[in-house]
Amino acid sequence: MHESETIGELLTRRGVSRRALLKYTTYLASLLALPPMAAKGMAEALAKTRRQSVIWLSFQECTGCTESLTRSFSPTIEDMIFNLISLDYHETLMAVSGAAAEAARLAAMKENKGRYVVVVDGSVSTRDGGVYSTNAGKTNLEVLKETAAEAAAVISVGTCAAFGGIPHANPNPTGAVPVSDIITDKPVINVSGCPPIPEAITGTVAYLVTFNKLPDLDDKGRPKAFFGDTIHDRCYRRPFYDKGLFAKQFDDEGARKGWCLYEVARARSPTTPARP
Amino acid sequence: MTVEAAAAAGFRTAMTDSLLREIADHLDVLARTGACAAIDLRSLPLTAADRSELEERLGHGDIEAVLTAAGTSEIWETRYAGVWWVRHLGAGDKIAAERIEIAACPEILTSDAADIAAASRKLAEDLNCISSEDADDA
Repeated sequence: MHESETIGELLTRRGVSRRALLKYTTYLASLLALPPMAAKGMAEALAKTRRQSVIWLSFQECTGCTESLTRSFSPTIEDMIFNLISLDYHETLMAVSGAAAEAARLAAMKENKGRYVVVVDGSVSTRDGGVYSTNAGKTNLEVLKETAAEAAAVISVGTCAAFGGIPHANPNPTGAVPVSDIITDKPVINVSGCPPIPEAITGTVAYLVTFNKLPDLDDKGRPKAFFGDTIHDRCYRRPFYDKGLFAKQFDDEGARKGWCLYEVARARSPTTPARP
Repeated sequence: MTVEAAAAAGFRTAMTDSLLREIADHLDVLARTGACAAIDLRSLPLTAADRSELEERLGHGDIEAVLTAAGTSEIWETRYAGVWWVRHLGAGDKIAAERIEIAACPEILTSDAADIAAASRKLAEDLNCISSEDADDA
């Protein structure tokens, strides 16, 4: 264990050059719509920072959110997030470790009291005391309250954790609720989506590590960097919308010239906040 | 023609002209003051045809580099000295980040002081090992 080790020291120990870190912050600055010249300063700041302890809880979910984050198979720029965080506990990935995994969660909570980040995927069962979803002999409800008590912030990943999702739909037999209904005394960041794009998950965590503060959130608790613009705002057909040039059919001259498809598809992109 | 076919055929939005003017302004500032700048291409709603047109009009100069830290990056100086194209590829070789840097040299090509210090220590250790082995052989 290297508890006091900075990210820069870790990279050196692992033989990873600072170019990799600069490359990641360049990527991050683009994701977060920050000025491109900020990348160098972000890399220098990160190099002096300790890795962020992250505890990942999986409740009533399908594991799609974890798949979204971990499906990469070769070392890439996106994988650099795992040099910035210490994923001290992941309920799904560590399930086979049983009691040892639970001990790791409690140890991480103790060592990083007040500083660790809790990531939750899945909604929380509350009916009959939450007995419809349990792990290691404890209800999800119990584990969430226990783990979030000394956390710096909670990130609800996926629509189930953020807004209840499918488990919350009628007749909602488990009494499923979003994390924000349970945790009301901590910052809760909603990274919704089914699953969210991995960039939104890692970008939100990386923002916390880099700037040591919460990102700007919209009225639904979502990071504006990823949910502030609509698909329409960033569509490559947008310049034609601004000029009033619309395709009338999918195969007409306008469509071939790249004109806006709003009138053809009755597109919802002007009202859908997401990063394409 | 389907939407996909239309996209594949390529169409341009005239954004390349705007970008070239911005690059020209930054290059003028670099020439006069040495101040660097960068333009994030990924944040702009460029079509594939726009991107190709920009690359064609900027051209390739006499330096190209391939960086292999955290995946592959392709870096080249355009035919305009001081204007660099920096493309970082992510999973599946998709473009993860891409920008135009207006600078004498892109930041990512220069060696970081921490890396140089670590390399210095490593080389000294390697030489000590070689010296020890030589002494043992003798």
